[in-house]
Amino acid sequence: MKSTLFRLLSAAIIGAAALIPSPAQAAKVRVVTTLTDLADFVREVGGDHVEVFSLATGVEDTHGVPMKPSFVPVMNRADLVVCVGFDCEHAFLPALLEASKNPRIQYGKPGYVDCSLGIAPVDVPKSTDHSEGDVHPYGNPHYMLDPVLAKTAIQNICQGLVTVAPQYQADFTRNRDAYLAKLDAKIAQWQQESKALKGVQFVSYHEHWSYFAERFGLKYIGTIEVKPGIDPTPRHIENLVTEMRADHAQMVVREPQFPEKVPALIARQTGATLVKLPIMPGGVPNTSTYIEMMDYIIHTMVAAEAKRG
Amino acid sequence: MNLKYLIGWSSALCLSAIIAQAQETNEVDKLDQRLKQIQESFEKQQREMRENFERLIREQQAQIESLKKELANIPTNAVAAPTNAAPAAAVTPEQLKELNTKVDGVVDAQRQVRPGAFNPSIGLVGETVFSYRSKGSDQIGTDRPGGFDAFQRSVELNVAAAVDPFAKGYAVLNASADAQTGEATLGVEEAALQTTSLPWNLELKAGRFFGEFGKLSYIHDHELPFVNRPLALDQYIGGESRTDGAQLNWLLPVPHYVSLTTGAGVGFGGDSPLNNPGAYRALSGFNYYGRLSTYFDLTPNIQLETGISGLINPSTQDRGGVLVQPDGSTLTEKERRVAGLDLKVSYVPLRNNQFQRLDWGTEVLYSDSRYLFNPSGSLDPANPTHTAGWPAPSPDDYYGNVGSVGLYSYATYKWHRQWSAGFLFDYMQSAENHNDVTVAYSPYITWALSHWNQIRLQYTHTDHNAVSGLHPDDAIYLQWAWIIGAHSHGWQAR
Repeated sequence: MKSTLFRLLSAAIIGAAALIPSPAQAAKVRVVTTLTDLADFVREVGGDHVEVFSLATGVEDTHGVPMKPSFVPVMNRADLVVCVGFDCEHAFLPALLEASKNPRIQYGKPGYVDCSLGIAPVDVPKSTDHSEGDVHPYGNPHYMLDPVLAKTAIQNICQGLVTVAPQYQADFTRNRDAYLAKLDAKIAQWQQESKALKGVQFVSYHEHWSYFAERFGLKYIGTIEVKPGIDPTPRHIENLVTEMRADHAQMVVREPQFPEKVPALIARQTGATLVKLPIMPGGVPNTSTYIEMMDYIIHTMVAAEAKRG
Repeated sequence: MNLKYLIGWSSALCLSAIIAQAQETNEVDKLDQRLKQIQESFEKQQREMRENFERLIREQQAQIESLKKELANIPTNAVAAPTNAAPAAAVTPEQLKELNTKVDGVVDAQRQVRPGAFNPSIGLVGETVFSYRSKGSDQIGTDRPGGFDAFQRSVELNVAAAVDPFAKGYAVLNASADAQTGEATLGVEEAALQTTSLPWNLELKAGRFFGEFGKLSYIHDHELPFVNRPLALDQYIGGESRTDGAQLNWLLPVPHYVSLTTGAGVGFGGDSPLNNPGAYRALSGFNYYGRLSTYFDLTPNIQLETGISGLINPSTQDRGGVLVQPDGSTLTEKERRVAGLDLKVSYVPLRNNQFQRLDWGTEVLYSDSRYLFNPSGSLDPANPTHTAGWPAPSPDDYYGNVGSVGLYSYATYKWHRQWSAGFLFDYMQSAENHNDVTVAYSPYITWALSHWNQIRLQYTHTDHNAVSGLHPDDAIYLQWAWIIGAHSHGWQAR
């Protein structure tokens, strides 16, 4: 009896010892970003101190990233969630945040990084009721296609990383400065290369390009969608074609997540050049970083314009 | 003997490890405390920064308004006239206009937030179902009349807001037109509190809500992939899985998505009768339910979600009263048990998921209720037995279980942002008699003009039911559902 008790007690002690967790190792900061451009920035600023997971892969509509349950455990363990802001991710982020059951990354908490802080929005709607379609009440959220405004996002990301991992502040700051210097050099290059695009008039499927057009001097004359999230009607297509012909619009931009049929039809009827342009890294092949994506966009538009002669 | 020494030495070693670990843990505790202090200091600084920022915003807004007034008073030709200043320093009308536009944008964006900052999100759903059924309700066993009908099935008000940093509250009030009077009386479908900051990945919901059973039980009628709720869910659950009680959800702390939900409540099923507790309800009078679910990314574009569910009400206390069968016998329910297996496979191409999607969903349910059988039909419907224990009221009465299977399976294909079509198959053995089988087939097509406005056309053929005597029926439904106000893409809508 005594020996049995002794055996049981020893087994219990061995079992308990196995369950005691070992001291925490120096852990990387776990960051979840909504879109791939943010993931690229986090990797640049975070360096070896971060583990990054992007909910989008680059090919999705930014407003339609699927809410996969497989995202939930990743977000549950995240230290930081980074989003574009201006309600860009309203279709999937709020539900995922709630399902994640991670109090550290909820809206307003230090682990929630809104990259739109400090950016003056354009296209702020006068009315937010549904007669205007799926509008963004706080303004156009697609500022990341303006590399100058993307620098603000990078600053916000750096600040967010420092908040949750202050011990790496020096590294984050050094990485941020190095990347901003690299980005500044590329911005100067893009400004130079895009001189050929000054005054080019174009339409796109969705209103992604307001900030880009303003930065690089293009004229953005409309969208193929009737309203945000509302597919074009025959009447709208007819009116758009008429307007484009009157303005001698040169380009039709199709984002890869939209069907080609209507943009191609409009391009044929107006004589404009149809170009396919990504809106985040990974949207087309060989654009795995933000800089590669912007290179692709500028070079494709310049080449299309050059081909028109 | 050797074994004893081995175990003894192992225990001693383990104890030493524990002590060493404890010492190390002390150091970790000290570091932890310091980190907590730093964190508290950060949070305090952040609070102060937030307050300062809000004060700054208010001051800046006042300045912006004042600047705008000044800008409006500057005559444009005064800016254009040459001055002694160098031309590069002159502000052009275009620059002024651009600055004005930017300032307007910032102010407008702030206005979108501030006035609505403390309002809950409010939305209203309207749903009307126009229909034609080839048989009368007496021949097909429906509440609504056969022939032509226009049914205001939902006028649903949704309200939700954060209660405090720890919980959010929501309510769904619905009015549905009565088949006889046409009156739509407002009822509470859901009104619950849901925690938002419990530790250990827990979430508690309490109040009136749709309990998590299966995949479609807790989906509101207008959000179903087809017009009508599957027959098996209608009969075994009782429509939507409404209950008054509490539910606890646990997201397992593992890298793979596994979710466990368990709950208890008075009643389960919005269209299902309650128990008859009389003067006192024991715990056995509650409904206890649970669901274990998991998910797999089969490929980046193909998803699989599956779950098992269970529901038991140990003492239903003659729920629904004395149930008269077609052959004149009667049943009185004593215990309710339902088990379910759900599976949903979805093809969601990442590149154009707004324009293309394929869903296949199936649920198989097994109902195993216990009844008091009264073959002679002698039990007085106005005075059903209320017994402590299980005595039979007359010699030929007996207790027994009825095991019944019900299932539905549907597939919906979306080929355009606005268009989708699908097919639903229903199979149901009555929970009171598994020989009483109903089978139905329903093709449907949906036109979603936008997120908030959709029309669905569905045809349903219901086979003849030899046991119940219900006639075969052909029905056409035209469902129109719309939403105004706030809309949220909740977790259940994925």
